[in-house]
Amino acid sequence: MSVRGFGSLVMATSVAGAALGCYLVSLNVASERAELESVEARIVTTQRQIRTLQTEIGTRGRLAQLERWNANFIRLSAPSADQILEGSFQLATMVRPPARHAIDAPVVLASAPVQTEKTPRIVDDSQDAVAAVTAVKPRTVRPDELLHVAGYEVPVRQTAAIEKPVKPKATTAKPTAKRAAASGTKHAAADPLAPLPAAKAAAKGRASGGSTDKPATSTIKDNGSAQ
Amino acid sequence: MNAPSPALVARPDRLRLVGQRRQVLAVMHQRLMIGMLVYGGVIALVVIRILWLAAFGDHAGRQQSVTQLVPARGDIVDREGHALARSIDAWSIALHPGKVIGNKLDLARALARIMPERDEATYYAMLRSNKTFFYLRRRAAPDVVEAINALGEPGIGLDREPDRLYPQTSLAAHVLGYTDVDGHGVSGLEKFFDAQLSDPARRGEPVTLSISSRIQQALEHELLDAKTRFSAIGAAGVIMDIHTGEVLAMTSLPQLNPNIAGQGSADARFNRATLGVYELGSTFKAFTVAMGLDSGVVKSVGQMYPCPGQLHVSGRSIGDTHPFNRACSVAEIMQESSNVGTAQIADQVGAARQKEFLKKMGFLDRLEIELPERARTLSPRDWSRTDVMTVGFGHSIAVTPLHLATGYAALMNGGVYRPATLLKVDRKHPAGKGRRVFSEETSYKMRSLLRLVVTKGTGSKADAPGYRVGGKTGTADKVAGGGYSHNRVVTNFAGVFPVDEPRYVMVVMLDEPQATAESMGFRYAGWNVAPVVSKTISRIAPMLGVRPDKKRDANMAEVLPYIREKE
Repeated sequence: MSVRGFGSLVMATSVAGAALGCYLVSLNVASERAELESVEARIVTTQRQIRTLQTEIGTRGRLAQLERWNANFIRLSAPSADQILEGSFQLATMVRPPARHAIDAPVVLASAPVQTEKTPRIVDDSQDAVAAVTAVKPRTVRPDELLHVAGYEVPVRQTAAIEKPVKPKATTAKPTAKRAAASGTKHAAADPLAPLPAAKAAAKGRASGGSTDKPATSTIKDNGSAQ
Repeated sequence: MNAPSPALVARPDRLRLVGQRRQVLAVMHQRLMIGMLVYGGVIALVVIRILWLAAFGDHAGRQQSVTQLVPARGDIVDREGHALARSIDAWSIALHPGKVIGNKLDLARALARIMPERDEATYYAMLRSNKTFFYLRRRAAPDVVEAINALGEPGIGLDREPDRLYPQTSLAAHVLGYTDVDGHGVSGLEKFFDAQLSDPARRGEPVTLSISSRIQQALEHELLDAKTRFSAIGAAGVIMDIHTGEVLAMTSLPQLNPNIAGQGSADARFNRATLGVYELGSTFKAFTVAMGLDSGVVKSVGQMYPCPGQLHVSGRSIGDTHPFNRACSVAEIMQESSNVGTAQIADQVGAARQKEFLKKMGFLDRLEIELPERARTLSPRDWSRTDVMTVGFGHSIAVTPLHLATGYAALMNGGVYRPATLLKVDRKHPAGKGRRVFSEETSYKMRSLLRLVVTKGTGSKADAPGYRVGGKTGTADKVAGGGYSHNRVVTNFAGVFPVDEPRYVMVVMLDEPQATAESMGFRYAGWNVAPVVSKTISRIAPMLGVRPDKKRDANMAEVLPYIREKE
């Protein structure tokens, strides 16, 4: 009986509570909405201010005013056709790179096998000049000396043609020179391990001295070895 | 004891009573029920209405327009989005004589000191009148408003009201037009788009024009410079995109400040570019030659015509400025702008075909553009043989400079006429429907002919190095008092650039330029308007994305063989 009496009360309270809850929720929503509205109103106000300022800036910096300033003070003019490039490639062609030096590499000259030397000579520019000088040296020999006139008479110039630089080599070449001298005509069939013909010839020249039995060809050979 | 117990037997009358009471009770219950239902229904209705409002009412699902700023009148912006016309909140100062509490004489003195446009006596009379309201000033400056506010007089009202402002002042003034004091368009685009600009639903979106401020400024500056130097009474200029018909710049001089349009003269308010019709002279020769080429009358630009010094046709004589006195080719006729030669070509084309071509180019109709100021053209009434000849070199027919620009656009864009438009062509606003006037072949041939005029002919001063300008000069005597005046001329130049791949057309016109030492004493177009074209194009072409190239040119091999070189 008592439970039944309270039942309606509980019902009424819960309905009232639910209604209150709903009302509170809607109140909350309404307050949020009002806040949103005020924010929106502020946004509109700010937009209006921005617009006003933009208009003012636009009016103060109007093109006619800029043109007047340009005519009076800045004096910029339109670019001519030559000032406008087609792209980075054309820009690059306008810059001349600094002239670069050629690489200082040693120059190896190919040369015909000169019999006086075992290894190819490595010469650079400076040495080349010297080499040229040395190359010219034998020209100190008079041309008529180079001319061989056939005859029975033994040429006298042989001694004059022999030069001093070959002297130090002479000592080492001595024994083979002697042997070569001993072997006489067996020149070509000589020992392959034999010293260079230069040393041999020099030694021979020195050894033979003013010998009269040497053929003309050998004198020419001596001249060559002296170079 | 014999009395029956009431509990056992009810007396009949009581029984009846009980029955009656039950009936009454039932009726009462019924009525109560109905009353409760009605009450509940009303409550339910109120609750449902509240819920409905909560769900779908004004607050729910806000419209976006409330959060956005809708101006009192729509903006007008150029093609890059720079404002050309805007509505701002201006101060207005009003007087309510009935509400004034201070000394009226002192107030009148103070007002006369702050706003000297009226004197003390006038202010005093206003203060003492029986009227309830006067505007003292509209669009008042802030310092004046501050001074008035400092008076502290409740009888003076300071209000804000929307006002139209043109931030660029005179720039494109004739295109924009202006509004009256109540904010309604009176001329120009302001009038044409008045409904759209003041419609609350549409005014939030600005009207985007095809005008480009920078190009407009360049054209106005150069044209004003030429107008001043040659003391012309007026000038007009148009720059158009030939493929879409968009007008990039259009000006009319003397200048007009639309912010104070009422103070400008009637001459300044007149739009020479769309409302003024002029006989434009030799610039028409390009059309005549194109008509000849298109209709097969002129087989090649090497076709020869006899060019004597004077041509006599039905009592009228046609002469040349630079007479050939020999046979000359079509290329030479264009180069030296020979009236005698062009008249013969026009004669061969004939009246019917000439009329048809001009009709297709829109030269016989009112201009098609979004402006209320559109002129009707003037053309010969009976179209006799002499008329055909004179129309051939641009006399006897009067059109606006904008007509000429659209005509040249049609001639050079491959032969398709498109109406000019002042609105930017994009997805929302497509280009106007075109109609074919000339064949593509004719259009192509005209490139080298127009280039020839600039490289070797009368328009040499119009050349902008690298931008390949092609065009035609025109000098026409003005009609004055029933005849042609030789002192008053209209000079104009219609040019296209870059001529090897035409993109833009430019028409400039000077109204009554005077001869100066600079122009060697000449009034010809080649001396006064052609330099304007050169200067303007070298300024605007880089902005328009036209790349200068001195190595490119039109195919001059098509015309150079038919030119006799001068000794």
